[in-house]
Amino acid sequence: MISHLASASSTAVAAGDIKLPSISYSALSPILVVFGVACLGVLLEGFLPSRLRPQVQPVVAVLGFAAALGCVVSLAGTHELTAANAVAIDGPALFIEGTLVLFGMVSVLMFAERKADPDGGALVADAASLPGQGTHRLAARNSQTEAYPLMVFAVAGMMLFAAADNLLVMFVALEILSLPLYLLSGLARRRRLLSQEAALKYFLLGAFSSAFFLYGIAMLYGYSGTVSLQGIAVSSGLLGKTDFFLYLGLGLLGIGLLFKIGAVPFHAWTPDVYQGAPTPVTAFMSAATKIAAFGALLRVLYVSFAPTQWDWRPVVWLFAILTMVVGAIVAITQRDVKRLLAYSTIAHSGFILVGVAAATQNGISSSIFYLLAYGFTSLGAFAVVMLVRSGDGEANDLGQWQGLARRSPLLAGTFAFLLFALAGIPLTSGFTGKFVVFSAAIGGNATFLVVVALVTSAIAAFFYVKIVVLMFFQEPRAEGPVVVRGSVLTYAAVGVGIAVTLMLGIYPQPVLDLAREAAQFGFVS
Amino acid sequence: MPPAAPVQYLPATGVFSATWLLVLFPLIGAAVLLLGGRYTNKWGPYLGVLTPCLSFVFALFLWMAMIGRSGDSREISSTLWTWIPVNGFHVDVGYLIDPLSMTFVLLITGVGGLIHIYSLGYMAHDERIRLFFGYMNLFVASMLILVLANDYLVLYVGWEGVGLASYLLISFWYFKPEAATAGKKAFVMNRVGDVGLSLAIMTMFWAFGQTNFAAVFGGIGGAGSGVALALTLLLLLGACGKSGQFPLQAWLPDAMTGPTPVSALIHAATMVTAGVYLIARSATIYNASQDGRTAVLLVGAITLMIGAIIGCAYDDIKKVLAYSTVSQIGYMVLATGLGTAGYALGIAHLLSHGFFKSTMFLSAGSVMEGMEDTTDMRRFGALTKAMSVTHITFLCGYLAIIGIPPFSGFWTKDAIIEAAWDKGGTSGTLLAITGIVGAGFTAFYMTRLMSMTFWSKSRWRETFRPHDAPKVMLVPMGILAAGALCVGGILVIGRLLQNWLVPSVGEYTEGVRAVNPWLMSTITLIVVLFGVAGGVQGFVRRPVPTTAPVPVSPLVMAARHDLYDNAFNEAVLMRPGQWATRVLVFFDNRGVDGLVNGLAAFIGGTSGALRKLQTGFVRSYAVGILGGAVVALGALLLLRAA
Amino acid sequence: MNPANYLLLSGVLFTIGTVGVLLRRNAIVVFMSVELMLNAVNLSLVTFSRLKGTLDGQVIAFFVMVVAAAEVVVGLAIIVTIFRTRRSASVDDANLLKY
Repeated sequence: MISHLASASSTAVAAGDIKLPSISYSALSPILVVFGVACLGVLLEGFLPSRLRPQVQPVVAVLGFAAALGCVVSLAGTHELTAANAVAIDGPALFIEGTLVLFGMVSVLMFAERKADPDGGALVADAASLPGQGTHRLAARNSQTEAYPLMVFAVAGMMLFAAADNLLVMFVALEILSLPLYLLSGLARRRRLLSQEAALKYFLLGAFSSAFFLYGIAMLYGYSGTVSLQGIAVSSGLLGKTDFFLYLGLGLLGIGLLFKIGAVPFHAWTPDVYQGAPTPVTAFMSAATKIAAFGALLRVLYVSFAPTQWDWRPVVWLFAILTMVVGAIVAITQRDVKRLLAYSTIAHSGFILVGVAAATQNGISSSIFYLLAYGFTSLGAFAVVMLVRSGDGEANDLGQWQGLARRSPLLAGTFAFLLFALAGIPLTSGFTGKFVVFSAAIGGNATFLVVVALVTSAIAAFFYVKIVVLMFFQEPRAEGPVVVRGSVLTYAAVGVGIAVTLMLGIYPQPVLDLAREAAQFGFVS
Repeated sequence: MPPAAPVQYLPATGVFSATWLLVLFPLIGAAVLLLGGRYTNKWGPYLGVLTPCLSFVFALFLWMAMIGRSGDSREISSTLWTWIPVNGFHVDVGYLIDPLSMTFVLLITGVGGLIHIYSLGYMAHDERIRLFFGYMNLFVASMLILVLANDYLVLYVGWEGVGLASYLLISFWYFKPEAATAGKKAFVMNRVGDVGLSLAIMTMFWAFGQTNFAAVFGGIGGAGSGVALALTLLLLLGACGKSGQFPLQAWLPDAMTGPTPVSALIHAATMVTAGVYLIARSATIYNASQDGRTAVLLVGAITLMIGAIIGCAYDDIKKVLAYSTVSQIGYMVLATGLGTAGYALGIAHLLSHGFFKSTMFLSAGSVMEGMEDTTDMRRFGALTKAMSVTHITFLCGYLAIIGIPPFSGFWTKDAIIEAAWDKGGTSGTLLAITGIVGAGFTAFYMTRLMSMTFWSKSRWRETFRPHDAPKVMLVPMGILAAGALCVGGILVIGRLLQNWLVPSVGEYTEGVRAVNPWLMSTITLIVVLFGVAGGVQGFVRRPVPTTAPVPVSPLVMAARHDLYDNAFNEAVLMRPGQWATRVLVFFDNRGVDGLVNGLAAFIGGTSGALRKLQTGFVRSYAVGILGGAVVALGALLLLRAA
Repeated sequence: MNPANYLLLSGVLFTIGTVGVLLRRNAIVVFMSVELMLNAVNLSLVTFSRLKGTLDGQVIAFFVMVVAAAEVVVGLAIIVTIFRTRRSASVDDANLLKY
């Protein structure tokens, strides 16, 4: 096999004429706008007086996202490859870009919350200084406003990640989205040690897994001589070629993607990072990173590896089952609310993998619908977590949530509703999402997988309901949590989460239609 | 049975296309009151009263419009939106408004509106009155969803909604331990029924691929008798849970710990009759299964007797009324079990019961209000003067329920007994006798209630100052009392209701064994008078005795035996019930719970073990990633080779 | 020389990098091992470029270098911060988050 490659070694490498690729700026406009806003944010960071930054940065970010959303809407129906076939602007890409931008907006609201914590905001004032040092105290009321451009960069990277039609672009996008997230994870104002540890773990494991991802790219390049997704699809359909590098490449590439998704056994970072990172960042990651990574995974599997789907589908089955089962089971014994939501996120990744395993058009539409629905629910749930606090920051221990309904029935009711949505109770978006994903999987002959998914849903429902029982039917502890009055921003985030969750539960048709149209359009190939 | 024709409903036009407004008003009320928090405390209750009244006014408009249409164009259905459209399966959220649902809408919003007004007075001193009205509005909205649904799944949403509202309202005074317990009991026993309904829905989905009425009724003819029987039994189980029918009746008397307007609205007039509605609505399914109808008859007859007998035994005024409700719903269920001969009669009795029972509950509430919330009838007596208006309204309800001509109960109950007789055969005879005996018991326990409360010697403490309730409570009581007197006659004379309901439940058919209705009525009346005489003998003409006197008639003897000893009840009904419960609980604990607990322990253990894999060391996580990579690559390469 | 040997070397380097990540405790060294993995990939890319006769592989290698440099900046920032609070660069010391 290797000797087979050697025969080609004599081929001369020719430079050829270099032509400038045509770039459709309009098709790229959402991504460009977000990148532009990120750069603007960096400039503002440099030139704006520090007292203005906390007010200006979030406004700029939200406006930028709104502009990008406008671009996405105006592009609806676009179906083209641009920038030398490196970026595909098609139905799924636009759907995911639009969703990401919305997630970004809601996350900015949570980043900008400065009333919930008495010292101002969930983000640290000065990440570099040690606790107790002079600068720390001076900057007590401030917060690290670099977080906004970092977060906008991450969104831009995610948008590109889901639209990349070329593995190199996908890799660069992966790094653009990851690097800011590593930094953001370390910015928690409270419990600095945990936050820094989360950043370190996320960074090391992220770098480790992206090395695998990159090695996969090299193998696929070695197999097909190109890194364009279509090129790989074309050459993988050819008979008679030795396909060792193809499968090696797919496996390694998949590891990088499954890591970002948080699939078992590549999930180990998820609970630690979710727990340690500042809650707005956790919320942002749980919603946005997931949809971007699934977008890329769907694109790779459905475009490049459509011809070989009979070989990879069992592997996706395997990881889907592992992810669902481990996520749901380990969540049961968790005592930390953020950690529990992290395991819940893992279980949900498993459910979405069930949709991915369908390998049909419904697989795409149901997965992206689920991601949208899950993202808003998750954002809402983490926003509630931000408001339940004890003396030194958020009250993350579940014991402190006991009897929350006595202290604040409305907040407890809100959280219960979101938990019901996560559990997939009818009339919430969670039910609709599960329903469409599972029926897509049945349509794709993955009935066994659906059976496993239903059993794990039941297990998962157990721990969601357990929290509801804890909040409503137990006496609050003396040292129980204080529900703080946040600013209107966090309430808005919770409200959006609730509204979307309810809307997609009762009247999901418009969004389902949107997802279906996006999927009908399919990936450019 | 004639083959079921394909079911076609007319699309909604004109005023009917706004039918959803009926639900919207109380829904908005509930949302505002429950989410608005204390900001709505001031005006909230008034909004809460306004919304069902608005719905009622709108319902009257719809009713007029429906009367204006010809008989065969009164079934109107429309889809509001498609809930889950996936791969050919879809659930449409829509409504069906036909004479049957129209009747229920008028009952729910009309009686509901009056009870809301009454609550303004009754709950005036409760500091959580806003919350109360929020729940009540939630109930009205859910109940309207239930009766307006055109799909079993949507009906189920309403079904669960009323269950939730009922639970919240029973345990409204959650600080009373018995209220909290009663709420839980109602919730649990209702779940049993709900399982029946949800299984029925799944069966429909399995058999017909859809759950909307049109598809189910259209397909039942060709579905085979097994499916029809399963559906009838499952729906019956659902009905038993919601309507307090044997063997799921025990929650209803306990539910009386809730505020009295709740007992009147939810646990007498509307929600508990949802089971009857379900059976009548599913008439097409019940027509397809003779065995299913027999089961319904059996349940109805047993419940009727159980309720009537236990009704004689209690001293708590609200519990007597509750068992009376159980018994009266037994009559309705029995009627629906008679098939096309009985659906309309069941509904007629339901309507007249809705009036007379809510009258009596509201009057009982008025008595309690005057007697510092006492419910023990042994503490009452001689209230005729002190509460003259309440006495009159109670008397109206009393005359109506025991069936003194020409008041409501006479028409509707006798019609059921007569229809049972007309069924023919031994079963018809037995059912009719059960009905007549039940009527006698009813007369006895209601007379007993009236005597002990109003007519006997005073037994209340000197400190009490009995008085009539304020006007805001008396006016709704008066209106309902007037309804209690005449509704039955209006509905049954000239078969007004039977003809009105033809589009919904089918053509009314005569039984095979016709009997002179006057003869039947006379027999019934004689038995009723015996019951009354027994009651008068025992509780008016002598002071409430402390020892069992010499029996006057076997009937009264049996009833008295219940009254003074309770042993009969306990031996015949409660002990076996408790025994059955204990057996069930035993199996539940050892069997089901054991399995569930074992499974939970197993999963918990696995969880604890898997948790330990998350060591916190970043390098061990990297090992995990590498391991996953090896598995993924190995699997891919193996599959490639295969 | 047979280009396949370069691929083998690349594989060996990648493995060494992986083992380094798994075995070394010092965060800096772990990070260097990751860099070694990236460079092993670069070697593969360049070799494949030569084998396939296209330039893509070499171009990708340059991109990888740039990305790796960016990663260094972020990584060192994080490692330095945690070192300042913990006075230790051992990755095993940072294990407050677990189970």
